[in-house]
Amino acid sequence: MTAPGPPTARERRAALVARDLVVRRSSRSGCFELRVPALELLAGGALAVLGPNGAGKSTLLRSLAGLEPALAGRIERRVEEPVAMVFQRPVAFAGSVIHNLRVALSGQRLSRAEVGARVEAALDHFGIARLAERNTATLSGGELRRLALARAFALRPAVLLLDEPFDDLDAAGQEALSLDLRRAIAGTEVAVAVVTHDLRRALLLADRIAVLLDGRMAQVGEREEVLARPASVAVARLVGMANLIPGEVAAQGEGQVVVVDAQHNLPIEPAPGRAAPGFAPGTPVWAGIRPERLKLDVGRGEGVAIGKGRVRTVVSDGVAVTVGVLWAGLELRTHLLAGRGLARSIATGDTVTLSLRPEDVHLLARG
Amino acid sequence: MLEITLRTLAVCGVALAVALAAGLPLGIALGRRSFPGRGVLVSLVNSGMGAPPVVVGLAVSMLLFRNGPLGFLGLLYTPEAMVAAQVLIALPLVVGITLAAVGALDENWELEVRTLGIPQWLRLWLLLREIRLGLLAAVIAALGSILSEVGAVQAVGGNLAGETRVLTTSILMYTQMGRFEMALALGAVLVGLTLVLAAALTVVQQGGRR
Repeated sequence: MTAPGPPTARERRAALVARDLVVRRSSRSGCFELRVPALELLAGGALAVLGPNGAGKSTLLRSLAGLEPALAGRIERRVEEPVAMVFQRPVAFAGSVIHNLRVALSGQRLSRAEVGARVEAALDHFGIARLAERNTATLSGGELRRLALARAFALRPAVLLLDEPFDDLDAAGQEALSLDLRRAIAGTEVAVAVVTHDLRRALLLADRIAVLLDGRMAQVGEREEVLARPASVAVARLVGMANLIPGEVAAQGEGQVVVVDAQHNLPIEPAPGRAAPGFAPGTPVWAGIRPERLKLDVGRGEGVAIGKGRVRTVVSDGVAVTVGVLWAGLELRTHLLAGRGLARSIATGDTVTLSLRPEDVHLLARG
Repeated sequence: MLEITLRTLAVCGVALAVALAAGLPLGIALGRRSFPGRGVLVSLVNSGMGAPPVVVGLAVSMLLFRNGPLGFLGLLYTPEAMVAAQVLIALPLVVGITLAAVGALDENWELEVRTLGIPQWLRLWLLLREIRLGLLAAVIAALGSILSEVGAVQAVGGNLAGETRVLTTSILMYTQMGRFEMALALGAVLVGLTLVLAAALTVVQQGGRR
């Protein structure tokens, strides 16, 4: 039996709902149209909006904030509290940091004491209490972003829309800010939508993922679901399913395998509770495998061996080692933690055994 | 001399106040909104910034001549006529500089203010605070131009002693009369006035900057 966990997306109440939304923007480069049939921002949850440049992520966020007039459809606010947005390039008002927070609260009809308490809490949350009296003209990019977040949080919004909150910060700054942001969100009922092109940062915050491709909502779902079961090859690439192996479905005994070539095939098996992929034998498919699900060497009898491969590339960023292994003529990717176990000894040219769990192979139609 | 100086300050003060009251909203509107005909208005303002004061004076005089279109008002050779001419000179400066300052604002400023739900009256105050450097530049430029301007006030005011004589017109008069000591003394007062006012406004303008 599993212990009762936090409420799933289905049990949460929607704070902001978009229905049949159509937003059109015309620019010199042509006309762009965003279409969102249905999207919900859930109280106490965070939705990451992923997509390549120009997919309409910022347009979506702005229309959710009510800043972009919709051609059709509607956006329903199901909450009383404000909808706050933090822009990719936040603007600070002339004056001090604390003035900026007070101004933000001026429309809220709060008592002086309440304003003071909220301002102090927000400054603390984002580690800028020491900057309270500083003129905003002297802030660095990272400090300005913290100010914008603190200003938005001081509103105690029901919905918080973040446009590339980690943009133009260095690695340490991103790390620190994403932790502060997580802490500030945790324990509140705010519904967050975060637009980012950085998948890993998005995953730090989000429990659901929406993928926008060329103005269309390609997939919306719980984070694990979208990561493990992307709806298309394009979504798979965007959510980091780096291994996409062309093959053909074939029957084997009771079940099915994906035949890659004469020597190589992949076991497949729908995970418990998930519907079978439903591909008939002979169907050409892409077999998608997330790098972190592909294992090197069969250690503790986990998974099914799929054969041997030769290590072609070993690239480390100090935290993770990305290993490229030649298997069935394809370079498959997997990750190891730097400085531990196999990562310490693996070298180009080594022969390794690859293994995976059949339910980690995700099939997508090909051709 | 004191009387002339005070009259100069009164005429210029009223003209500046009227120019600001009309010019600021106009400049802000032109800087923030787009509407058909905006381009024409902006180029009109920009050319107005360089309009020769004496021609402005001539135009106002012709309007106010007894048999002119506004002659019935009987305003020619009165301080009110001088104020009118100076407003016409200062207005394009105020509008033009305000418009430029508003245009230089971050394009996200407006969105930021809207998403924060800041009340309308406070938005205006925030905007003025945001563009205060440009705003005071507009005040300095407008005041400087009308304080030192002679052609228009001479044309519409007529330099009547005790009525419409101001610093610049009397300097001109004493120069023509060959009374250079008076002309120089009044000139010194005018320069001093300009310096003091400009310095005071500069202190205000640069005050918030650290």
